[in-house]
Amino acid sequence: MRFLLVLALLLSVSARAASPDPALVDAARKEGSVVWYSTLIVNQIVRPMVDAFQAKYPGIEVKYSRASGSDTALKIINEARARRGAADIFDGSSTLVPLIEAGLVASYKPREAEDYPAVMRDKDGLWTVPNLFFLTVGYNTNLVKPEDRPKTWEDLLDPRWKGQIAWTNDMSSGGPPGFVNHILSVMGEEKGRDYLRRFAAQQPVTIPAAQRVVLDKVISGEYPLGLMIFNYHAAISAEQGAPVGWLKLEPLIQTMNTMSIVKDSPHPNAARLFVEFVLSDEGQKVMAANNYMPAKPTIQARIPELKPEAGHFTVKIMTTDDVRAHLAQWTATFHEFFR
Amino acid sequence: MSGALTWVRQDMRRVIAALVGIVLAVLMLPPLWILLQDSVTTTNAIGDVTGFTAGHFAKLFTDKDALRSIWNSLVFAGGSTVLSLVAGGVLAWLVERTNAPFKILAYLATIVSLGTPYILHVIAWLFLLGKVGPLNDIYRSVTGGTDSLFNVNSMAGMILIEGFLWSPLVFLLLGSTFRAANADMEEAARMSGATVLQTLRRVSLPLAMPAILALALFVFIRAIGGFEVPALVGMPGRIYVLTTDVYEATIVVPPDLGYAAAFSVVMVLIVAVLLYFYSRLSKNAEKYHSVTGKGFRPRPFDLGKGRWIAGAMIVANFCVVLLLPMITLLWMALLPFLRSFSLAALPMLSLKNFRTVFTAPGYVELATNSLLVAAAAATFIMAITALAGWIAARRGPGGWLLDQLATLSLVFPGICLGVAVMEVYLRVPLPIYGSLWIIAIAYVIRFMPYGMRYVYSGVLQLHHELEEAAGVAGASSLTTLRRIVAPLLSPAIVAGWLFIFLVANKELAIAVLLASPGSQVIAVSIFDQWVNGQGGELAAFGLIWTVLMTAIACLFFVQGRRGGTDVFGN
Repeated sequence: MRFLLVLALLLSVSARAASPDPALVDAARKEGSVVWYSTLIVNQIVRPMVDAFQAKYPGIEVKYSRASGSDTALKIINEARARRGAADIFDGSSTLVPLIEAGLVASYKPREAEDYPAVMRDKDGLWTVPNLFFLTVGYNTNLVKPEDRPKTWEDLLDPRWKGQIAWTNDMSSGGPPGFVNHILSVMGEEKGRDYLRRFAAQQPVTIPAAQRVVLDKVISGEYPLGLMIFNYHAAISAEQGAPVGWLKLEPLIQTMNTMSIVKDSPHPNAARLFVEFVLSDEGQKVMAANNYMPAKPTIQARIPELKPEAGHFTVKIMTTDDVRAHLAQWTATFHEFFR
Repeated sequence: MSGALTWVRQDMRRVIAALVGIVLAVLMLPPLWILLQDSVTTTNAIGDVTGFTAGHFAKLFTDKDALRSIWNSLVFAGGSTVLSLVAGGVLAWLVERTNAPFKILAYLATIVSLGTPYILHVIAWLFLLGKVGPLNDIYRSVTGGTDSLFNVNSMAGMILIEGFLWSPLVFLLLGSTFRAANADMEEAARMSGATVLQTLRRVSLPLAMPAILALALFVFIRAIGGFEVPALVGMPGRIYVLTTDVYEATIVVPPDLGYAAAFSVVMVLIVAVLLYFYSRLSKNAEKYHSVTGKGFRPRPFDLGKGRWIAGAMIVANFCVVLLLPMITLLWMALLPFLRSFSLAALPMLSLKNFRTVFTAPGYVELATNSLLVAAAAATFIMAITALAGWIAARRGPGGWLLDQLATLSLVFPGICLGVAVMEVYLRVPLPIYGSLWIIAIAYVIRFMPYGMRYVYSGVLQLHHELEEAAGVAGASSLTTLRRIVAPLLSPAIVAGWLFIFLVANKELAIAVLLASPGSQVIAVSIFDQWVNGQGGELAAFGLIWTVLMTAIACLFFVQGRRGGTDVFGN
């Protein structure tokens, strides 16, 4: 019995150690650090991921900072303008779009992504998907009685919600532009535009902050409903005792985070090693353990009901290629209706 | 004195003046130039100029939203100026000129607010006045309804919060005016049978009026350039002012820098006009000062039974300006997620956020960064202005020009200076953008006028005979500067240093566009954390920071009193 256990341990250690290329690990160690500009929430996932990486690769320090996608893109563009690149890795599909346009994204096809579905990795190696987003409406359980909970997207047009729905100002696929696209593609151009017109008349309140902050305002009771919030954020807070839940307005919006390496970045090898780590079983388990939605199909979410299969809800998937091709157009449509 | 000696003395001063002038010109002129250039040119994605256009200004003056922003800015600045003058002015009068009790509370609130980043107050008041804050909570429990009494994300909310933000400064500055006012006339009025109110209306207020007007203009200028309140309070309510428009135009992808620059030019023009009136007014105010200044403390008014009402007002102000915001921050820091004040939430309180602040990487580095940048900027400014201010105050070679150069940046609202400095140093082929240097440079440009003010008025207090005596005794101008002027000026220099150090750590608008993830300062980091959903940690860190800065503010206050200069070297 004990022998088996030791053997299993040995095997798992050797299997793990074998996964990244030792030459890459060496080169990364020489660089000593790596800088990650993230759109993810620091205390929920960035720090746990960084801690896990640093525990596995002592001597490689991960520095990080969080901002919205457009802020992050702008910082990286400005760093390039000043010829003073600092960032090695960034995530967020709305970060990705302008940076590809500016030619600032390096091509790298992670080994760990080889068994990921094709929709989760770029054919040119410009991005891979580290985690999934399921976006919907979050609600305050004290303020919204069970019978009043919206059950369809149409229910958001009920006059009782006028001025009661908050959402982010983040102009990404996970923000208002993503919502605009979702409605238009689910309902069709004509019906969708009619919906958007009526929804704009509901006067949703724009919070100049991340989706997480919008949900916090729902929790504190400032707004009974928050639109375009991540369902797992609601689950994380509900576990801490917050009066919050999420609604299955079908289809939910599924988008994907993307992770990329900055072209000519100061620590290219450490950057590759970090990307490999995030996509590996280990990194994906860190996602899952912290209630984020792992991208790798073989890794289960900690609360399986947050994903469509176990949660029995339908989704409409917005692929990264969709976002790349149309984000600007969705943003323009948003301005047309909501400004 | 021989002619040769005079020549050497004059020549040394000329060399110093020329060197200081070059440093000042290199610092102060490029931002203004780049703003003007950006506002009339088009650029490509890399920021190279591709052509000239009047389009940015055309858009500005035809766009309905832009005109509304200008109007909003004026209403916002005007309203908060009036509010802060009334709140701070009444308090200053009660504390300086009456026998009201609890005066110490007014000083306490002022000292703490000198050291706290504005954004912390704003966040606290947002909660206090917000939909789930105690104000609306109480209203709902009284009426039994679900409506709110007050929508904080409105123009009224913005004015209220900005007004509170400035009232401690008004208290400090008007306090010194009331302290220095001539008591003889008031005594005369009282002896002729006037009541306290009559004396106040007919004698005290008219005497202080020039100082009050000058201060009003000063607060108005600062409020026009205010960023924290418009960003956090106004934007969610879709109330845009000039500063938030500039900010938005800068952070969209791709950034609309031409539009931001055009907006900035408009703001700079507005502020320049206001500054012209300000300088005329404050010259008048000084005239009144010098005529009426007396070496003794005037007898305080006896308010009789009214002194308890006055005391209640002082306590109320203390609660609004200091106690309630601090309690709110503590509440936010102790909770895992924000909720309204209630007994039901008590079991949830924990020190987790404080633990995170002490253990998570980054916070210590952040604090050291901020202190370092502020100290470096303050040191550099005082070194330059000690020379420039001395030459200007003594009408030395090029003195007028040095004064103009050093105070040029007064015309920049913080956010516009941020845009300009970013654009300048993105184009300079030196590794400055993305490092702490760029923030230090922006601080130096921004706060140079304050250093100038301190030194200038410090020099005016020194009799020039002291320097002449040194000259007669054979000292060169360098020796005179080193052995005579510098030691005598040191209280003013120290007070100026501390003041710049404090305000540099408070301001968000200048650094918000310049800070990079690898080079953060406190106010920006607090703003980021608020935007990124780390409210609890932010509050915990903010409280710790407030304690630290309050200690430094105490130093400043003591130094200011001892050095005989008050906050603005007035």
